[in-house]
Amino acid sequence: MESLKDKAAIVGVGYTPQGKVPGRSSLSFHLEAAKNAISDAGLKIQDVDGLLVQPAMGDPSVTAALVAQYLGVRVRFLSVLDAFGASAGCQAQFAAMAVAHGLANYVVCTYGENARSGVSEYGTALNGGLEYGLFGPAACYAIAARRAMHEFGTGPETWKEIAVAQRRWANLNPRAAMYTRPMTYQDYYDARILVEPFRLLDICQISDSGRAFIVTTAERARDLKKRPVYIMGMGQDHPATNPQQATFLTGPTGAKLSGEQALKMAGITLKAIDACEIYDCFTYTVEVELMDYGFYGRGEGKDFLKAGRLGPGGDFPLNTSGGLLSEAYQMGFTPLTEAIVQLRGEAGDRQLGVPTGTREPEIILVSNNGGVMQTHSTLILRK
Amino acid sequence: MMTSYTKPLPIINDDNRQYWEYCKQHELRMQQCNDCGYIRFPPGIICPRCHSMAAGWVKLSGRGKIYSFVVYRVSYHPSYADDIPYVVAVIQLAEGPRMESDVTGIKVEDLKVDMPVEVYFDDVTDEVSLPKFKAVS
Ligand SMILES: [Zn+2]
Repeated sequence: MESLKDKAAIVGVGYTPQGKVPGRSSLSFHLEAAKNAISDAGLKIQDVDGLLVQPAMGDPSVTAALVAQYLGVRVRFLSVLDAFGASAGCQAQFAAMAVAHGLANYVVCTYGENARSGVSEYGTALNGGLEYGLFGPAACYAIAARRAMHEFGTGPETWKEIAVAQRRWANLNPRAAMYTRPMTYQDYYDARILVEPFRLLDICQISDSGRAFIVTTAERARDLKKRPVYIMGMGQDHPATNPQQATFLTGPTGAKLSGEQALKMAGITLKAIDACEIYDCFTYTVEVELMDYGFYGRGEGKDFLKAGRLGPGGDFPLNTSGGLLSEAYQMGFTPLTEAIVQLRGEAGDRQLGVPTGTREPEIILVSNNGGVMQTHSTLILRK
Repeated sequence: MMTSYTKPLPIINDDNRQYWEYCKQHELRMQQCNDCGYIRFPPGIICPRCHSMAAGWVKLSGRGKIYSFVVYRVSYHPSYADDIPYVVAVIQLAEGPRMESDVTGIKVEDLKVDMPVEVYFDDVTDEVSLPKFKAVS
């Protein structure tokens, strides 16, 4: 069977206002993001013939047919896709398959939510436990993080490096929620402890906003407005198990198998990766996923992860928009869209390469994780 | 009788009703697969190891140790506001499965991973008894 390597490309990306944006439905964010992605790609509404929609956790009323209806598109490839935080990477993969097989020419992938100002379901437990007061995803990941402290000696000393490095990137990104707010190590330690062992600054912030991207074939991509970003490699691994019985809370998470598959398809090793955009719902998530991709050994995050390396000017650029922690919570769309913008050279002050004293970005690894590390997707993107 | 219990109660459905019925009788029982012996939790119709639908409810010793735990330092729900700081733990049961629960009778500062614990039942309403754990030496 023919590999999907380099068969598909991402050709459009759409943002919306983000942060606290009251008075808007989650549907409205899907629509605005899709509109902006279509325009960014230089496509007409009539060109769109595929649509994959990730509904917000708090708003399952947004179906794929509803988004199509309001976008005014008639498509031949349509679905809701929900693998929690891993969805964006999964959407890109299904879209790549569809265009490679001629089932659609231009697949628009959308996300939208208004959980910051509207109704938020993030307070409810994903996998039960309400009767014991287990509220919110932070506690579920804090359980994993505590176990990791016990098993391989991680903790706030390591996590602060991730938080501070990502904030330095956010300080270069006008779109980021934390653009004007620097963070020192002391700020990190001074932050309120919400759910031990996590401080406020270990935890991402919910946003109102939407995001979209468009996938087409490599051939079609060459004739469009923007420089194509090719999908070199892809993988998914969904361990799925209820977190109570999970063996993966301290790794190996789905990052290991989905990463191995994606690297194999791309025909590269980790050495070829110029930057990482890693789903960072919590600081610990970044540590365990980079470990599972193989960038360092078990428990070696504390030596590897230093803000100087991870931030602007560093040799291991990480989450260059500020990520979920310091830019905006847009599920897997945050890391994915940032990789696109960086590979196109449109990242402004935070642009990888000469502007930030980092390697010129040729290849970026995008990691998406969802549930309590129950779902995972990997993309390897290149110029 | 504690009719004034305001905290969220378990969402009882056709899959887990039997589990909560046993809890009401102060018995910690989980489904054990008749074919491969795997003890599964939360309750469900098939064994995730071998897909057998044949299972019985095995009585567990109620002994285990803390696999991991978190301490809420802020309230995420009004009914827990007066309980801050409170713990939610994952208990590694002696027979293999793990479960989320509460560990009581110990200061949160003294909690440690791998600490041995033992089950007891808290009759929070007439209808619901929650299995909780206390530290044992
Ligand atoms: Zn079985």
